Formats: sequence, structure tokens, C-alpha cells
Amino acid sequence: MNIVENFDLFAPRLINKKELLSSGHRACSGCGEVLGVRLMCKALGEDTVIASATGCMEIVSSMYPTTAWEVPWIHVAFENAAAVASGVEAGLKALRRKGKIADRDIKVVGMAGDGGTMDIGMQALSGAMERGHNMLFVCFDNEAYMNTGIQRSSGTPMGASTTTAPAGKVSMGQKTWKKNMAEIMVAHNVPYVATACPSFPLDFIRKVEKAKKVKGPSYIHCFTVCPTGWRCPSDQAISLGRLAVETGIFPLYEVENGQYKLSAEMPKKLQPIKNYFKSQGRYRHLGEDEINMIQGKVDKEYGKLLNKVECLKAWD
Amino acid sequence: MVNFIIDGKKISAEKGTMVLEAARANGIDIPTLCAHEAVSRSGACRLCVVEMKKGKRAKIVTSCLYPVEEGIIIETKNERVMNVRRLVLQLLMARCPESDVIRDLASQLGVDAQPRFAADEDKSKCILCRSCVRVCEEVVGVSAIGFSCRGADKAVSTPFNEDSAVCIGCGACAFICPTGHIEMETTEETRKIWGRTFKMKTCDVCGRYFAPEDQLKYISKKTGVPLKELAVCTNCR
Repeated sequence: MNIVENFDLFAPRLINKKELLSSGHRACSGCGEVLGVRLMCKALGEDTVIASATGCMEIVSSMYPTTAWEVPWIHVAFENAAAVASGVEAGLKALRRKGKIADRDIKVVGMAGDGGTMDIGMQALSGAMERGHNMLFVCFDNEAYMNTGIQRSSGTPMGASTTTAPAGKVSMGQKTWKKNMAEIMVAHNVPYVATACPSFPLDFIRKVEKAKKVKGPSYIHCFTVCPTGWRCPSDQAISLGRLAVETGIFPLYEVENGQYKLSAEMPKKLQPIKNYFKSQGRYRHLGEDEINMIQGKVDKEYGKLLNKVECLKAWD
Repeated sequence: MVNFIIDGKKISAEKGTMVLEAARANGIDIPTLCAHEAVSRSGACRLCVVEMKKGKRAKIVTSCLYPVEEGIIIETKNERVMNVRRLVLQLLMARCPESDVIRDLASQLGVDAQPRFAADEDKSKCILCRSCVRVCEEVVGVSAIGFSCRGADKAVSTPFNEDSAVCIGCGACAFICPTGHIEMETTEETRKIWGRTFKMKTCDVCGRYFAPEDQLKYISKKTGVPLKELAVCTNCR
């Protein structure tokens, strides 16, 4: 393999300078999600149509009568971002066939938060991926329904306290393990699935560019820090994203035609998850035993992933 | 503002804009390999050719280097342009048979490898677009690489194919390369590019390898920031 994987200094000066999500939107300070959306737009370029589910990104970017978007963008209901994106893709294909629009590549992208992807929009997404539309779906996962006031979703990690899964004398917060959405997408036999985090911007941009080139469905799971909902200082948004990756709680990998590959950013030796937990208020209540239990589970999940990286071969 | 026509569409753009940018801003796609906004243009890949009509004259120009003019008529997809573009791709395919990027472009335009152009075996994926040389000179500012030899032997390399003393191992050349010709291998403690192995620096705080030592020295020299302050990785800063 001769793919260049690790850049640090001068490469950032070579990425697209055009902003397709303009500044002045209403995201909270330190929002990792809006940074992810901005980088995604940079990687996609202008020939893009975005269908966005309800969520933070819709609220902050399109407050009437303003908009932050400089690409065609549709806000749709919570559950059907993927369905609308697949419809747009089919419509563009029909118009192109009839010669009503110029014959050029336009990438259709569906985007939603963790709620809009893992809970409410799951069946629409599953259908779109199964039908094989030429589209990309990006999930911006901030691990709860942050927009409506930090309710738990199936993306909320074990042990986190939310308003509907509060920690107290009886409960330790969220009791179930985070749903592994990327694996579910791999099970759809999608040609390209990746996990990414805007704390590693070049890696994220490269993954979106790769997904853009795929002819067929592709899925990117983007882990985004939410200082408001995670009860952490807003200046730690980037470093927390890095810690989540370096502790192995959210490993970065990509699956091309069934072949797993760890990203270059993954360290050889993982840090203990304590480092990741300590600056977040949503984990403040966790005791030693609970942290050890979660650490065990993280190690096990990471081991499972390493096994897949080693053992599974590409099917194409 | 300058008014002109691209593919039958009336377009106006600022004086000094290149035809390529004006077309892309209006949703007309022109394929390119070597045009990049961070470096100056060279018109090396020749894929962006278009037909330009001024009065009675019509000629083929490279759109990435042709500034817009009042009243010109540009055709980006007529038969003459497509013939030139197909020929360019046939030649590029003969030069770099291994390149996926060129093969994809060719299949989009329905171009096959031609038996009359014997395929090169020693050129790997380099199309001699000079993007890497320009980025090293204009963005990084060290000029560690350049063209060597002439004619059929022309290639990108360090001076005399020896280890470059000025290269800082930043990898910007490998990042900008449109066909992925330049190889960079990074392990934990070393990075290998242009035949030279760079030692990576560990972070003073967390001990992780994060950047080539020479790169940090160069930044320190250029910006005047003491080396000690740069010896901390992005995580620990």
C-alpha cells in the first residue's frame, strides 16, 4: 500500500478553501458537529445535494429567514433523510436520462444526527442502503438528542447521564451499550463504510472524498463532541474527540468491500478510558467498579474489531 | 465584469478569472488533474482543453490558464474538444497504465488503451504535472525536488537522485499528487520519502511520535518560535 496516510503540517494548506457552510450560524461554542459538517462540505465540493434530518444542524444553520448553506439543501422530517436523499438521487438520474439537466456527477448526501440515524431514521436508511442508491449517508453522532435537551438515544454510551437516563442512587445513567451503527451498515454489504472524527480533519476529509468516488451507497459515522450535552468545557471539543479515538472507545476504521482497515491515526497502545471520562460531567458519577466494567467492555469490542481487521478478506 | 458564453450559457465573471473557474462556478464540469487552487497553474495535464471562439477564429486552449475575455464563446464538450481530450487520455494511459485515476477518467469518456501507443513500464504513475515541485517551492518553500533529465527520461526527483539535504519530510508533495505517484511510508518512529528516512520527534509531554524532527526545525527557523515550544504534539498543546 502506498496511500499517504499521515500528514501534519503543510497538507492542511492544500485543502479546499471554499466554505460551503458559511459562518454566522447559531451553533454552540465548541460544537464539534458543525465543524464536521463544514469539513464534509469542503470534501464534497459544490456538486452536492444535501438532505438533512431534523436535529441540531438543521436548527443552527437554517433559522428563518437566513441560511448558512451554499449548496442545495433540503430539510426533511426526522425519520426520512435517507429516503429523501435516495429520491433526489433517483430524480436526478431520471432528469439526466431525459436530457433535462447536464450530464455530470452530482453526489446526493443524506445527513442526520445519532437520533435521526440510529433510532428514528433507521428503517429509511436501511432501505436506501439496500436499494443501492448512489448516495452517501453521514451520521453526526453526538451521543444523545442534544437539540431537544439531552435525551438518551441508542447512540448514548454506557454510563453517561442524560436527562431521560439520569444517574442517581439507583441508576448509573445509560444502562445499555452503544448501538454499533457502522457494523449494521457493513451488514448491508455497502461498498464503503467508515468511522471518522473531525478531531482528525485530514483523515475525515479523505474518507468523505473516498465515499464520494464510490458508485453506490456509502456510509460514514462521524463522532462529534458536544460540549453542551457532555458537560465539558468547550475548549476541549477537539482533544476529547482525539481521546475518544485514542482510548479505543470510538476506533477509526474503514470497511471497503468487506475488508476492514484501521486508520493510521489509531495508536498502537490504547490509553485507559479514565482519561477520556475525567473531564466530562456526564460521567462524573461513575465509580471505580463501573469504570473498570466499561473498560473491560471497550477492550473486548476493540479486540473484536482487531480480529476483523486481521481475518476478514475483501469480497470484491 | 466580463461577459462571455460557455456551452451556450451567458456568464459574467471578474476580469482575470480563468475559464476553468468561471465554468465550474456555473456548474459546467471540466476534467482536470493538475489544477489546484493552492499552487500556480501550469497547464501540464492538458485535460482541461476547451474550444475558444473569438470572432472568426476558433482554437483549442487550456481552460485553467486562459483568462476570460469579453465576447468569447467557449465550447467545453463539442466533438473537436472531445477528440483532443480523448487523445490526451490515450497518451496518459500509455504513460501510466497502472494509474487508477487516469483509468477512471478514461472509462468515463469511453477511452481504451491504444495498441499504437506502446505502454511505458518505467514511469509508474507520474504524469509530469509538476504539482509536487510547485507545492514544494510555493507552499512549503524549500524546493527539495525538481525535474531531472529531458525528453523521455524526464522525471521528478531530488537533485542527482541523492538524499535531499533541504527536504523536511512534510509530505505535501505526496498529498497534492493527483495520481498517487509519490510514496511516503510512515511508521511510528520513522518516515520515508524520496529515499530519505526521517526521524520522528516524540512529544515532550506524552511521548508520542508526531512529526519529523527536520520539519520542526524548519518551522522554528521560519517563524522564530523556539524549538522547545514546537516539541509538543497537537494533543498536549
